[in-house]
Amino acid sequence: MSAVLQSTTPTAEPVANYRLSLRRFTRNRLAVAGLVVVVLFLLFCFVGPLLYSTDQTHTDLHQVNLGPGGAHWLGTDAVGHDEVGRLMFGGQVSLLVGLAAGVLATVIGTLWGATAGYAGGWADAVMMRVVDAGIAIPALFILLVVSAITTPDTLGLILVLGLVSWLVPSRLVRAETLTLKSRDYVLTLRATGGTHGRAIARHILPNSVSTIVVAATFQVADAILLVAYVSYLGLGVQPPKTDWGGMLSAGLTAAYSGRWWLIVPPGLAIILVVCAFNAIGDGLRDAFDVRGRG
Amino acid sequence: MSGTQSRTEAAAEVEPERVLEVEGLGVTFGTDTGDVPAVCDIALHVRPGETLALVGESGSGKSTVALAALGLLPGNARVSGRVTVGGTQIVGSGEAELARLRGRTASMVFQEPATALDPLTRIGAQIAEVIRNHRPLSRAEAAREAVELLRRVGIPEPERRASAFPFQLSGGQRQRVVIAMAIANSPSLLIADEPTTALDVTVQAEILDLLRQLAADSGTGVLLVTHNMGVVADFADRVAVMLRGEIVETGPVEQVLLRPSHEYTQRLLAVVPRLALSGEDAPAREGAAVVELRDVSVRFGRGPSAVRALDGVTLDVRPGETVGLVGESGSGKSTAARVALGLIPPDAGSVSLFGTDLKRTRGRKRRALLSGVGVVFQDPVASLDARMSVAECVAEPLRMHRRGMSSADRRARVAEVLELVRLPKELAARGPRELSGGQRQRVSLARSLVLEPRLLVADEPTSALDVSVQRTVLEVIAELQRELGFACLFVSHDLAVVQEFAQRVVVMRAGRVEEQGPTMSTLLRPRSDYTRRLIAAVPVPDPVVQRRRRAQERTEATA
Amino acid sequence: METLLYLVRRALQALVVILIVTIVVFCLLHALPGGPARGILGPQATAQQIAAFNHEQGLDRSLPVQYLYYLRTLLHGDLGTSYTLNEGVSQLIGQRLPRTLVLTVLSALVGLLLAIPLGMWQAVRRNKPADYVITTLSFVAYSTPVYFLGLILVLVFTQTLHWFPSQAPQGDTLAQVFADPMALVLPVVTGAASMVAVFSRYMRAATLENLSEDYVRTARAGGSRQGAILFRHVFRNSLTPVIAMLGYYVPVLFGGALVVEQLFNYPGMGLLFWSAAQSSDYPVLLGCVLVISVATVVGTLLADVVQRVVDPRVKAGRA
Repeated sequence: MSAVLQSTTPTAEPVANYRLSLRRFTRNRLAVAGLVVVVLFLLFCFVGPLLYSTDQTHTDLHQVNLGPGGAHWLGTDAVGHDEVGRLMFGGQVSLLVGLAAGVLATVIGTLWGATAGYAGGWADAVMMRVVDAGIAIPALFILLVVSAITTPDTLGLILVLGLVSWLVPSRLVRAETLTLKSRDYVLTLRATGGTHGRAIARHILPNSVSTIVVAATFQVADAILLVAYVSYLGLGVQPPKTDWGGMLSAGLTAAYSGRWWLIVPPGLAIILVVCAFNAIGDGLRDAFDVRGRG
Repeated sequence: MSGTQSRTEAAAEVEPERVLEVEGLGVTFGTDTGDVPAVCDIALHVRPGETLALVGESGSGKSTVALAALGLLPGNARVSGRVTVGGTQIVGSGEAELARLRGRTASMVFQEPATALDPLTRIGAQIAEVIRNHRPLSRAEAAREAVELLRRVGIPEPERRASAFPFQLSGGQRQRVVIAMAIANSPSLLIADEPTTALDVTVQAEILDLLRQLAADSGTGVLLVTHNMGVVADFADRVAVMLRGEIVETGPVEQVLLRPSHEYTQRLLAVVPRLALSGEDAPAREGAAVVELRDVSVRFGRGPSAVRALDGVTLDVRPGETVGLVGESGSGKSTAARVALGLIPPDAGSVSLFGTDLKRTRGRKRRALLSGVGVVFQDPVASLDARMSVAECVAEPLRMHRRGMSSADRRARVAEVLELVRLPKELAARGPRELSGGQRQRVSLARSLVLEPRLLVADEPTSALDVSVQRTVLEVIAELQRELGFACLFVSHDLAVVQEFAQRVVVMRAGRVEEQGPTMSTLLRPRSDYTRRLIAAVPVPDPVVQRRRRAQERTEATA
Repeated sequence: METLLYLVRRALQALVVILIVTIVVFCLLHALPGGPARGILGPQATAQQIAAFNHEQGLDRSLPVQYLYYLRTLLHGDLGTSYTLNEGVSQLIGQRLPRTLVLTVLSALVGLLLAIPLGMWQAVRRNKPADYVITTLSFVAYSTPVYFLGLILVLVFTQTLHWFPSQAPQGDTLAQVFADPMALVLPVVTGAASMVAVFSRYMRAATLENLSEDYVRTARAGGSRQGAILFRHVFRNSLTPVIAMLGYYVPVLFGGALVVEQLFNYPGMGLLFWSAAQSSDYPVLLGCVLVISVATVVGTLLADVVQRVVDPRVKAGRA
């Protein structure tokens, strides 16, 4: 008998939920710092080129491999592109592809996980075995296979990255759906003649929003990191376009001969942005009080 | 150090036989939303061998006092005042000093036996740990003593059971293990925080017997924290009543329960549901059954681990009547209600709702059929979608089944129903989070009644509520039933409530119907042994009557 | 009996997962444009040569037939023959896998041995400076691309300090690999870094959750000291969910090995896969992915079994 609830009956919470979540988020210093870092990088990459204009399409063989200082704050690369400008230019691709692929992965995962969780039974069992199979194949291996066969454009890259990384969000959303569909208000709706569509649209999806948002944040972090591997695996965007990962792998050999300015700035940019999204995700998870990645 | 000692001596001189002394205790919790005072200016004491019951409703601060007595409050608590246990001052003492005292001078039994024990450690080892915390015994000696303790608290085959894990024991047995840990070092004070609240009534009676006997044997003083007046009448020598963080009345149990002086105590006792000892059956209702379960069986799981949740259950509810479905946990009463609602399809047998076989109806027809049913579940938090306003929650069935209704008509209907359940209409725009438990249950009720159903299924609708709130909600249901004439399937573990509100009663046990019939004759003259035991186990909130029932029970047991 | 039933059910599930893996990879390889023939015969190959190659390798039959054919040889323990290396895929993987296992197992051990105490310590010092510092470091370790981390380590510890060599051991046998422990340090550290980050986070969360459990309060009420509670009760209870995560981490470890082996020129399965990808060597690619997915599935299975041993509740199906 769960008369246990006698002393666990929650007292009325006077503060609206989102206000409480906001307060909890803003008190998490790491999360706020992450938010600031992301905003700064977005400004740097998308507004920066308006203030600091450089030529990132033509090579300039008079200005190759210059060290930091002078007209080029962070030096130039092997074909004479200004490194600061290149960071902005490459960052646009890294951030856009990362954000789009992370969101795409979350959307696929949400649909898959919600369907499996709500349907239950055989459909759930089969769909989750597919997820297990997907998890058993490391994403890097798939990307390497794809790179051996084709070189996708930016849109293709987003698709490929989205398709290899929807598995974790699908598991999270499925778990959430399983909990929500046995909530008393969903049972009440079904017991009084409500349709499945109504249960999903009015109760299950709206109540999963916080879980999905948190998953999406981590997913974007992972996607930006994955974009950094893509060039290393030979899948990256083609010159003259580039991204931070492309700058890193292009600068690998240069680093051994002491030209650190070709790899340290893009490396730090990747680390900072990925850290920032992880910190935001962490803060959001605590603020919304949802379970998920440790 | 010397200061502590002189204070101890002083206390010993004034009152040599007080195992717990609380004076001017105040506790404030620092939270996200600012400081929340929990209790203030509490004074109480417990003498050896006596039981002081600390009673109050949720939020009264009674558990805070219990935790403060052992210095177990969480880190965000600020404590002032004096708490002395066996001569040691608790407030302001360090963890090391408190650890020496906890489990030896004073120990504690908690509410939730399901989570009170480490799931990965064998129960014998957990008891031995408490022994070895305070006495220099070898592992083997401590293990032997643990087995003896298990025997003392009435665990059968203690040698074998000592190596069991907590999950292998029933809730009652787990609580016995927690008690064994508490008495391992013969403490002079035992603090029991709602020790039987999570248990079934029959188990509750056994645990209370055990605690009473242990306290009598060793002269231990007991501080019993509870909300249940029946438990107080059954167990306590003295009573302290708490309201909003303060003690409003203290006295011997007969005085407080039979001649309460404070207005709050009087009000509380007036609303406590009591088992009536005499009464007449209501006249039987005529008409075709609103809902009928015929020979229904339900299994959960497959293969050898399958559980038979329902086994050949037959019951019906006639127009306008209330049928009480009672039983202990695991009896299948909630499952039966869910079968009646079409949420769980039966493996065998049939369910007919308003004369139509549920199994044979699908799609639109089924939804139309179900629109004649209203539902109220137990948990006030999980029953309402926190993202919707009260008005949206109540309007949902209208949106489902009255598609053509204009939004003005819908608003009017929602306002009307909210008034029916006696909720002020200002609440309509609020979110469920801003409501109290009782208000939320009334919103659930409003939602269930908005389509004027012919059947209301209420699964423990008031079990999560304080007694005073419980009374209001039950009265609203009864009054609306008289007015609107719906039939009601009322699931409850509380025999007193069922006796008061149901015309017929169905007693369930282990998935079967033990017996059913008109309420009064079934509960006053039960035919089955089980129902008799069930009724005998319910403590009545009158110490004199309860003592008499207990004596009677004992003579029956020996006879 | 119950355990046996459970094992049979889990084994069947595992088989289904492996079957799905083979289908997914098979379809992926064959659905993409520019089949293997062009990759192997070179851009100058004539249409005739390509047709002959496709016929010889059975690539001109319908996909389901090719798949069934592949499955049949698989059931005989035959992973096919490499297009480019003229050697059986099973033999190739047999030579390379032990080396990769040395790398991944060592990385996992080092990672866990660091992560578990770190996570517990963070939980105990929650929201204190130490917690913030370790959290930040975990984020950084997690967010650094493995190849960038490896590069930095080489620049610092090989080029500047000359402590460790920049190449992993090159020996053919495991004995030769272990004979050069200094050469293993950088690859293992590189592989372990993100594991430390991830599992210290898991351990921190699990420990925090357990510290707020009722049984901790019961133990305190029985006079147990903080340290005793932490090591006797909280540690074991927190470890169980972390063990359960370990199975799912197997593919991540192999993914890391792919990069680490390439970076430190360590001739393991990752490097084999890498060169097979460059030459569109289908049988090798399929074989490697199959081995890794089997390893993952077995890993999750083992994690489940270990969890059943450690946590008796799981056995009873109540956890």
